[in-house]
Parts: sequence; C-alpha cells; structure tokens
Amino acid sequence: MSGTKKLGLRQRYEYLTRGLDWETSYQPMDKVFPYDSFEGIKIKDWSAWEDPFRLTMDSYWKFQAEKERKLYAVIDAFAQNNGQTGISDGRYANVLKLFLTGISPEEYQAHRGFAFAGRHLRGAGTRVAAQMQSIDELRHLQTQVHTISHYNKYFDGIGEFPHMHDRVWYLSVPKSFFDDARSAGPFEFMIAIGFAFEYLLTNLLFVPFMSGAAYNGDMSTVTFGFSAQSDESRHMTLGIEVIKFLLEQHPDNLPIVQKWVDKWFWRGHRLLGLVAMMMDYMLPKKVMSWKEAWDIYFVEAGGALFQDLGRYGLKMPKYADIATAEAEHISHQNWAVFYQYTHAAAFHTWMPDAEHLDWLSEKYPNTFDKYYRPRWEMWAKMEKEGKRFYNNALPQLCQTCQIPMAYTEPGNPTEICFRSTQYKGDTYHFCSDGCKDIFCDEPEKFSQAWLPVHQIFQGNCGGATVPDVLRWYNMNVGADNMDYVGSPDEKLWNEWHAEKLRQAS
Amino acid sequence: MSYQLTVEPVGETIEVEEGQTILDACLRQGIYLPYACGHGLCGTCKVDVLDGEVDHADASSFALMDFERSEGKTLACSARMKSDVTIEADIEEDPDQRRIPIQDFNVTVETLENLTHDVKGLRLRLEGKTIDFQAGQYVNLKLPGVEGTRAFSIANPPSENGHVDLQIRLLPGGKGTTYIHEVLKEGDKLTLSGPYGRFFVRKSRGGPLLFLAGGTGVSSPRSMILDLLAEGYAEPITLIHGVRTRADLYGESEFEALAAKHPNFRYVPALSSEPEGSDWAGERGFVHDVAARLYDKLFEGLTAYLCGPPPMIEACVNMLMQGRLFEKHILTERFLTAKDDKKTTRSPLFKTI
Repeated sequence: MSGTKKLGLRQRYEYLTRGLDWETSYQPMDKVFPYDSFEGIKIKDWSAWEDPFRLTMDSYWKFQAEKERKLYAVIDAFAQNNGQTGISDGRYANVLKLFLTGISPEEYQAHRGFAFAGRHLRGAGTRVAAQMQSIDELRHLQTQVHTISHYNKYFDGIGEFPHMHDRVWYLSVPKSFFDDARSAGPFEFMIAIGFAFEYLLTNLLFVPFMSGAAYNGDMSTVTFGFSAQSDESRHMTLGIEVIKFLLEQHPDNLPIVQKWVDKWFWRGHRLLGLVAMMMDYMLPKKVMSWKEAWDIYFVEAGGALFQDLGRYGLKMPKYADIATAEAEHISHQNWAVFYQYTHAAAFHTWMPDAEHLDWLSEKYPNTFDKYYRPRWEMWAKMEKEGKRFYNNALPQLCQTCQIPMAYTEPGNPTEICFRSTQYKGDTYHFCSDGCKDIFCDEPEKFSQAWLPVHQIFQGNCGGATVPDVLRWYNMNVGADNMDYVGSPDEKLWNEWHAEKLRQAS
Repeated sequence: MSYQLTVEPVGETIEVEEGQTILDACLRQGIYLPYACGHGLCGTCKVDVLDGEVDHADASSFALMDFERSEGKTLACSARMKSDVTIEADIEEDPDQRRIPIQDFNVTVETLENLTHDVKGLRLRLEGKTIDFQAGQYVNLKLPGVEGTRAFSIANPPSENGHVDLQIRLLPGGKGTTYIHEVLKEGDKLTLSGPYGRFFVRKSRGGPLLFLAGGTGVSSPRSMILDLLAEGYAEPITLIHGVRTRADLYGESEFEALAAKHPNFRYVPALSSEPEGSDWAGERGFVHDVAARLYDKLFEGLTAYLCGPPPMIEACVNMLMQGRLFEKHILTERFLTAKDDKKTTRSPLFKTI
C-alpha cells in the first residue's frame, strides 16, 4: 500500500470546483464579474465558503436519471390506469391549474436566476452550487409540465399556461415576484430565492401542494413532489450557507441582508396567500388549515431559525407579527377576490358547502363565523336566487405585490387597508405597510411595475372590454373561467362518476 | 434494548435506543451530521452503513433510491438500528483528533477534598494501567446504586496518566453527585470508562486562545492549559473563570502562579453575584460580559474554548459572534445534567454551537 492518504470527499470536491478556477489575466476580474459589487456586499475571503454539499456532475446525472425513470414510470402507470378519474373530486383539478400556471413558470424563472448567480458570483464554490440548482429548477419545470399535461387532456384552463403567465392579472403576482428577484443583483437573488424562498418558506409552498395531492388521490403529483423535494437538500443547505457566509464575511453586510430578509419575507408572505386560499378552499379533502401550516412552518420552525440567526444580529423579519396575525384572514380574503372575479380567472370557484363551512369555523374560531361565513352565506343565497355576484369593476392593485387591494387593516378586519406614497409627482398605492416600505426603498424599480389593471386601462391588453382582454389572455371563455358548477369540468367529472357507479352495480 | 453505533471517520461510539433514529442519537451526543428536512424527504443526512443492519423506515424512494439502498446507504433522520451498526458520515476528521481506544478502568478514591462549600476534588488512582487521553476529554463514572453512568471532565493534564482528577459540584437532588458528596470516601473502589469527547485543543491551528469556563467547567480548561504551557505554547492564552461569589472560587492560587511564571498566560477570575462592597478587587459580572470588556467586544482571530452550564455557553456564543468570532473558531463542551437533556427546537443553522 502506498503511503499517500486517500483524499477525503471534501478535498476531492474542492479540487474539482475551486481547483479548476483561475484568476483572469486578459481582462481584470472586476470586468469579468461586473455585478458582484454594486449591492454593497463585502466579501473578504471567497475561500471561506463552505460547500453546502459535495456532488460531482457524474453522480448528479446518475441520481437525476434514476429519479426521472421512477417519476415517468409512475406518470405512465397513472395515465394507463386513468388515474384522473380516481381523484377526490373534479374540483381538485383547479389546484393543479393554479400550480401549473402560478408555480411551474417560476421554477423556470428560478432556473434562469440561478444560472445568472452561477455566472456572476466570484467564488467558484458558490458558482458551482448555484449552477447545479439552476439545472434542478429546469428539471422541476419539465417534470411538472409532463405530470400535469396528462390532466390537460381532460380539464380546462391548463393548456395556455406560459402565455397566461405573462398576461393574466393574478399570475402577475408570482411573475413580478420572480422578475423582482431576477432583476436584482446576484447576492440579493441568493437571499431572496436561495434563502427566503427555498429555505424559510419552502415548506409552506411544497408541503400543502404535495400533501394536498396525496390526500386527494393524485399520485402523479405526489411523485413529482417527492422527486423535487429530494433536490431540496441541496437548495436548503445552499440557502443556509449563503446567509451565514454573507453575515460572517463583513459586519457591513448585516444591514443589507436584514433589509433583503425583511423584503423577501414580506413578498413571500403575500405570494403564499395563493397557497393559503388553495389549502383552505380548493382542496376537496383538507390537509390542514393555512393557519395551522403557518404556525408549524413559520412561527415554530422559522422562530427557531431566527433565534439562531439572532446570534449574527439578524432580527426576525419586519412585519412577521402582522403576517402571523393575517394568517387568520388571508385565505378567506383571497378566495373572496377570486369568487368575485371568477369570470376573469382560468380556474373555477365555488362557495363552500355546509360541511366545508363548519370545517372553516372549527379551524378559524376567532374569525370565520364573525367576518366570513355571513358573506359566504349571502353569496350562496344570491346564487340560489339567480343573482350570482360578479364584480365588474377592475380592482385597484398594490404597486408592489400586484394583488388587488382587498386586504384589511391590521387589527381591524372590517376596514380595507390602503397606503400610498408620492414619487416624481405620481401617487402609488399599496395594500400594506410592508409593500409600501419595499417600494419606498427602491421607487425607481417598482414605479416601473407592469400592473395588469393599469395596462388594461392603457389599452395594452387586447381591448377595452372584458371579452377583449380575455381573448388576449387566450382564455377559453365558458370553459376555463366561471364557477365549477355548470362547467365542462363538472359535466365530465359527473359522467366519470356515473360510469363508475354503473360499473359497480 | 439499545445498540452501539460507531460513527466514522471520527471513530466515535455511542448508545442508540431501540426506535431512536441515528440522527437523533448523534445530535444528542454532540456528533453533528448534516441534515435539513428531518423526515426522510430531502436526503441531506445520507450516510454509508459499513456494518450492521438498519431499517430505512420512512425514507422517500427519491431521497434514498433503490440503487443506493443496495449500495448500503441510509438516511440518518429515518433509519432505525436493528443491530450494532457502523456508519460513515460526511463529517470532517479533525487533524488534531487522536484515535484513542476507550477502555474500562478500575479505580480507587485516593483523595477526596473540599474545593469549595459545594465542590469536591476527587483523585482516582487507576489500578494497574495508565490512561491515554487528550486534554479536555471526559470519563464516564459508574457509582454504586446509581443507574447509568455520570460524565465528568478530566482536570489533570495527559502527562499525569496514573490517575484522573475530577471536580464535582453537588447538584441538589442529583443522585450521582449526592452519592459523591455524601457517601463516597477515600479508599472506595469504582469503575470508569474513557476517554470520551471531541473537546480538545486544535493545536495545529495555532493563534491566541481564549478559555471561558463556568463553575466546575474549569476542569477541562485546567487540563488543556497545563498541557499547553508544559509544551511551551507561545501564543497568548487567557482563562476567564466565572463563579457566583468569592466562596465559590477555587484553583486561583495555582492559576495565579502559572500566570506569574508564563507571561503569555492571563488568568481572570470573575464573580457574578459577589456582594457589593466586599473586598473582591477582581472582575465582577458574567463570563461573557467580562470577556466583552477585556476584548473590547472584538474576538476576531481567537479560538475560543467554552465549558460550563448551557445558559453560560449560550451567552458566550452570542457575545463571541457579535464580536465576529464564528462557529469554526468556537469549541464547546456543554455540561448537561439529566434535567437539561431536552432539546429545544433548533434550526440546522449551526452544527456544534
């Protein structure tokens, strides 16, 4: 045996990553990496980066190929067995519509963002980690599209997802979230998506969708969820390493990182309102309430995280207390918006039935009976009387999160919360102090926001009437939109159900 | 029923209860394995099973693929042991760690003295063997009529290998320490095993050292400092030893003599609850506050060794990090009593502190 000690995994990985990096000589390094200084982040020593994982490309392909084989075997089996007929209820398909139109395109945006960070961060270890996550995110988009494309054969509202993502009013919420992150510098992107989204808030996004799929008989979606979550090990550890690295490198980084954590926590909270609504209203079989999920994954787990981060001097995100208080309201307020604007949304809505109302009362004893049940009961009554309520005015949108201004004042659920500020002679409107603060910190950026309602009024969205705009959205009117009851989805589901009963008897 | 788990490459062996996960057992014993989700979905805690049998339990088939199962991988957060097991985990071997086999020793109580009103100094003579250990490590002591063993740090330097000195404070209601304080007498025979633990001086890193000790937590630093000074360690070494009052302080004449002899050694006893107006002329306050004053809240460049009760360690870690000394340069040994051994919810942000 030779006397040379075998290299450890860590050393081998270091040789493979950092050992292949070099100082450029034809061009100065500052020109090669033009974006890693303007944000004010100071890095004294890139070599202090601790690789959060050590995966080489050859094993990466081996793992991912095996995951793909497993996933596509499940998807094929699901299709061959007509798995779509075994889901809990036809309403469940609307969860997938929301996911594919609202989340999957953001996987692609994350892919692009990490590719940017993987090019523009100066440290080789950080670049390699970001590049690998970039490929993961692309894989997530592909597997999600492939999985849900099976449902597209039967259910409406799915087929135009990339087109809709760039145009439809509520999809501008996730789109603008990622546009904001991607047009920031590479460090802010890593905190926004790598830390806040992929670590702090990831369980609030993925667990509800994946458990929801499991509870509602959608095994193909559960499988892509598992497949994606197995990549999350790298994403979560990367997010943690990024924030530690920035905080340890220089004391001047703390206020910058704190500002980003405040911003992206609040932006994430607003975005996750869509998930809240999905959990409390759209899943035919419930997993847990949004409030319960928030308590477990943010209040408890996030609390422990920020207690540890407190050692660096980093504080709990600003307005975390407001967000926790809003967990009692946000799903109801969002569902109310979509119910009123169901004619302009590419998924179906409905009023909860009696059993569902009782579940909501039980889960939200402080708020539901007092503030929301009476409204639902009134709307249900109006439906029965043939006077189904539609809101035909276009809503005012928050300049930052782009959500209609339907949220209420902290501490007063009967008053809509309005905030505004002036910038270069124009007035800008916000749904909350959190969104206003974000604007005021970067007004040059957010004053340029592409707000769907403004764009409609400016004549940039296909015409002056709702049918014109829906045509511009590529919305199949009468099929993609409106209530579930009376939809082609419902008709199909009832036929499947009748067929099953016939076969059983 | 419990099994033995050996963790490579560090060579540490621990007890694992039936049904307990490998990750939980390791974290409780202070062996940090990388982990994230904690419930079998993400795969961060993947380890190699070198020997023995495990049940993969709820590990997701995507986080732990079939081919990996047949290659002997498992997820530490889910795996339950079905026999004694050896795993190899992605943890760093420390260049300063020596592999010293753990042995059982028969010992006789040679001396038993009062160091303070509630701390006994105990010298245990090893019968027929010597002990090899790294300064800072501990032994597990078996006491008659007391279930399990009790862990105590070795206070003497490794050069004194024929005995172990222990410093033991009476914990009200503690069975082990009550036995030592009230029943044990010179000449009694006991058994112990050791050495255990990863609390030792990272000598290869060099640089100035800061020891922060609370109460009997000074025993490990005593061993470490005696060892360093005897070897001629030339960089600055500071020991801050915190106790409540003058009556709780011990060992000061020895440390003062060492400081007089070695100009690179500074000894700072600190009293947190000494009555105002007493004749104590030394430092007052908690260890972390005294450290902040001495270093003007800037600890960059030091390596710190912390030993004491959990609240003291927590306060010191916070102070050190505010003074820009981070995890890599903070080494700690927590004194856990049976009462403390409840993990509060922690995030995976830190590995050892």
